[in-house]
Amino acid sequence: MAEEKKPEAPAAAPKPAGPPAPPPPRNPGMVTATIDGREVVVKPGTTVIEAATAMGIEIPYYCWHKRLSVAANCRMCLVEMSNAPGGKLMPGCQATLGEGVAVKTDTAKVKDQQRATLEFLLLNHPVDCSICDQAGECKLQDYYVQYDAKPSRLDIPKNVKQKRVALGPTVTLDQERCILCTRCVRFMREVAKNPQLGVANRGTRSEITAFPGQPLDDKYAGNVVDLCPVGALTSTDFRFSGRVWFMSTARSICTGCSRGCNVSLDYLGESAYRLRPRENQAVNQEWMCDQGRLTYKPFNTGRVLKARLGRGPEGRPEGRDAAVAAAATALAAARARGGVAVLLSPLCSLEDLLVACAVAGEGLGVTEVYAGGRPDGWHDQFLKQADENPNRKGLELAARAFGLAVRPFAELVAAAGAGTVKALWAVGAELPAAAGALASLPTLVVQASNGGPLAEAATVLLPAATVAEADGTYVNFEGRGQRFEAAWFPRGEARPHADLAAALGRGLGLKTPWRSNREAWLALSPKLAGALGPDFSWDSLPSAGRRRGFVPLAAGTVDGRLAGQKDRMAPEGAEPIERGVAPSGW
Amino acid sequence: MSTEVKEVVKQVAAPRSSELDAPLSSKRMLVNLGPSHPAMHGTARAVVELEGENIASCKLDIGFLHRGFEKSCENVTWTQVFPYTDRLNYVSSIMNNVGFALAVEKLCKLEVPERAQYLRTITSEIHRICDHLTLVGALGLELGAMTVFLYAIEGRDLLWDRLTELCGARLTSNYARIGGVSRDIPEGWSEKTVATLDRVVLIRDEIDALLTRNRIFVDRTRGVGTVSRADALDLGFTGPCLRASGEPYDIRKAAPYLVYDRLDFDIPVGSNGDTFDRYLVRIEEMKQSDRMVRQCLRDMAPGELVVRDFRYVLPPKPEVYGTIEGVMAHFKLIMEGIQVPAGEAYGYTEAANGELGFYLVSDGSGRPYKIGLRAPGWPMLAALPVILQGALLSDLVPVFDSINMIGGEVEQ
Repeated sequence: MAEEKKPEAPAAAPKPAGPPAPPPPRNPGMVTATIDGREVVVKPGTTVIEAATAMGIEIPYYCWHKRLSVAANCRMCLVEMSNAPGGKLMPGCQATLGEGVAVKTDTAKVKDQQRATLEFLLLNHPVDCSICDQAGECKLQDYYVQYDAKPSRLDIPKNVKQKRVALGPTVTLDQERCILCTRCVRFMREVAKNPQLGVANRGTRSEITAFPGQPLDDKYAGNVVDLCPVGALTSTDFRFSGRVWFMSTARSICTGCSRGCNVSLDYLGESAYRLRPRENQAVNQEWMCDQGRLTYKPFNTGRVLKARLGRGPEGRPEGRDAAVAAAATALAAARARGGVAVLLSPLCSLEDLLVACAVAGEGLGVTEVYAGGRPDGWHDQFLKQADENPNRKGLELAARAFGLAVRPFAELVAAAGAGTVKALWAVGAELPAAAGALASLPTLVVQASNGGPLAEAATVLLPAATVAEADGTYVNFEGRGQRFEAAWFPRGEARPHADLAAALGRGLGLKTPWRSNREAWLALSPKLAGALGPDFSWDSLPSAGRRRGFVPLAAGTVDGRLAGQKDRMAPEGAEPIERGVAPSGW
Repeated sequence: MSTEVKEVVKQVAAPRSSELDAPLSSKRMLVNLGPSHPAMHGTARAVVELEGENIASCKLDIGFLHRGFEKSCENVTWTQVFPYTDRLNYVSSIMNNVGFALAVEKLCKLEVPERAQYLRTITSEIHRICDHLTLVGALGLELGAMTVFLYAIEGRDLLWDRLTELCGARLTSNYARIGGVSRDIPEGWSEKTVATLDRVVLIRDEIDALLTRNRIFVDRTRGVGTVSRADALDLGFTGPCLRASGEPYDIRKAAPYLVYDRLDFDIPVGSNGDTFDRYLVRIEEMKQSDRMVRQCLRDMAPGELVVRDFRYVLPPKPEVYGTIEGVMAHFKLIMEGIQVPAGEAYGYTEAANGELGFYLVSDGSGRPYKIGLRAPGWPMLAALPVILQGALLSDLVPVFDSINMIGGEVEQ
């Protein structure tokens, strides 16, 4: 600041010889430079790291992130540039390419600097890999082996800092592991627009911290855990619960709201362990909210895994097929008497709902369906939608495809109270309000993945699969169809809603021969008349190269490939490789 | 016994005159040898068509010991391949370990410490003696000389005892590592090994005395299963079988690896290429291996066992438990494996039966992309029907032995 207030230098002073004038651009309007001897033509203002990444040249970095501002503080990306003053190394994340500049990323000087940077970063890093959640997806580990691989030269004790700082309800900080890249600070300031994190103190005492008395309670705070290149910021929920290199990943969609954030569902065996945002520039960029991160819990707990006949004390477990037959008999009888209603949940996939609507219209002869689902929640201007159901749009599309009107839940409760509805088939048991008179209906067939008031009140309860157990499509609030894939085969007796509905349809005398959601989609999607747009293709989600079902120990890494193997993924559009063993009766 | 029954027995027992007068059958007879036959090594099966007592044709049926070696290797890290190589030629497993390690090191451009090279040579040559003892003993056994077999197996097990002391396992040694060897010799091992070698020399000479001038043995092996020098080259022979045919080709001399260029040893060469020559070459090679081991034990200097590079070799445990660098390197090596640079390499060594080749393709990751094995016994086994054309059935067994088919490596 003081510099600016200095008076202007007298005009008479001789002007020092400046750098030579830049050469005229070889490609007008663009910048032509070379990186490692290869020529590259980029827009003015392109940084070295961006150009190199596009060319397939790897420049290591910690602090740089394409969706955050440049900090250039980790010093990992230093490269040689021909226009650098004094031949200094320049940070590739910050330095922009100039006309005719030659960049070198693999000289001895650069390699030495990378090694020195890593040694410096590891100087005070605790010996924590064995207990660290980040192990297996840690950039310190990756870069150490790639760029350093030298033994420690430290012969004094390491710095000691706080090991478990609860920054807020969702994030726990290990200050010793932090390399102070400030990605989290920049995320909170620039993306979450809620600057709750900062760097306190100086030198080796520097630490990431929330401000006194103000916890890190932003609804998007969980993203700093994904952003953290090391194991410093950990998810309080996922902390110490599983080893990432044993896990496999399914490409899924968050069920938390109608935004439909793309997520990676990390699972081990038949249990989900966490959700991580998956990049989709059009939907969620690469973020998701903390509430969405917890929506995997119902996949694991509170599940309905067995069919049940009877309500309350008369309830008894029953085989699924027998229960479906009993449900078909009860609904057929109710249809003959009149007063059958159908309740659809907007948490079911589009395929489930198409089959359900087909059975409802043709098998039960209804002309309207009621929409269930969770009640509305909070919303903001960033990602979260008030409608906490991922597929309400899909429900409307499916109903319209079969000429069924969609009625609100309240009308169903009123009709049941008035006695005009005597029997109900509920596909999905999520309710926006109290079940009211529904709980005492004489015929209440419920397909439920999780327990709840409606599942408890059911006279026939059928176990349904969750999103983690079926292939399907969600249509988000914009009308964007998004595919998700099954992680593991359905637990217990559970089957996808579409399978149960199709079996019910057969019990009602319909021809519903589909054996999978894909077959159901191929048969019924023409009725949607292209409502998902020309770009949507059910087979667009390449499932080749993934392991699913029962995953043997150490079979996969976080992105679904075998540990240590690269480029083994089959090309897109290849036939899926079914490695898992289907349970009997599948 | 009633008289009626007696009458029937008499009728059956008495040869019919027509049978006695009939000409001998000119039909060829098919004889099935193996896979579980005491005369067949390992688990190979030979379907032999006999013209009288001579072999008109012979079809070999292998694969009873097939384990999918090459494919299995693609699913494990480079280091985890070593136990699989133990099971190739299980009589001399360290030579397989070393062959694979050298091929990977070729890809990694790794220079192995000198002591590790000496140790690899010592163990390889001890295993060569074991392999040849097994063959010679079995050859005697198959020609009726049970004593020879017992002597040979005694010598082999004495040597295996030394290797057990060195690497902890009698058969599946898993001794080499990428970048060196897994452990150093225990205290007093050199002297013990020299004493063992002295004992094995006595055994070898005893066998030599029992067989080499033995009338029965010589008659059954000399001029039997002859392969000319030209045929041996055409059929892709390597190792002792090739040298028995007169071709002085040995990779240890032709393209020296480890410390073979510093050792004083000779390459024995046969002249006739028959079973007897193949036997003699082995006896002579045992003498040469003995010489080499003694030279190595004399010349070996103290030093590192493995390269000190965290990218290839696990850090010492104090560094793993005490420093972040060590634990990171350990984690990456165990969970993802050695990052072998992308490319391909063919590593070849002189194993007991000939050229043991590993063709490796790496995609730059922690696991082999592809491994191809050139099993030394394979060309000789494939040539067996040619060698045995017209031979006596009784010669099949010693000839089959003398090419030393090892199911583990041939059938992978």
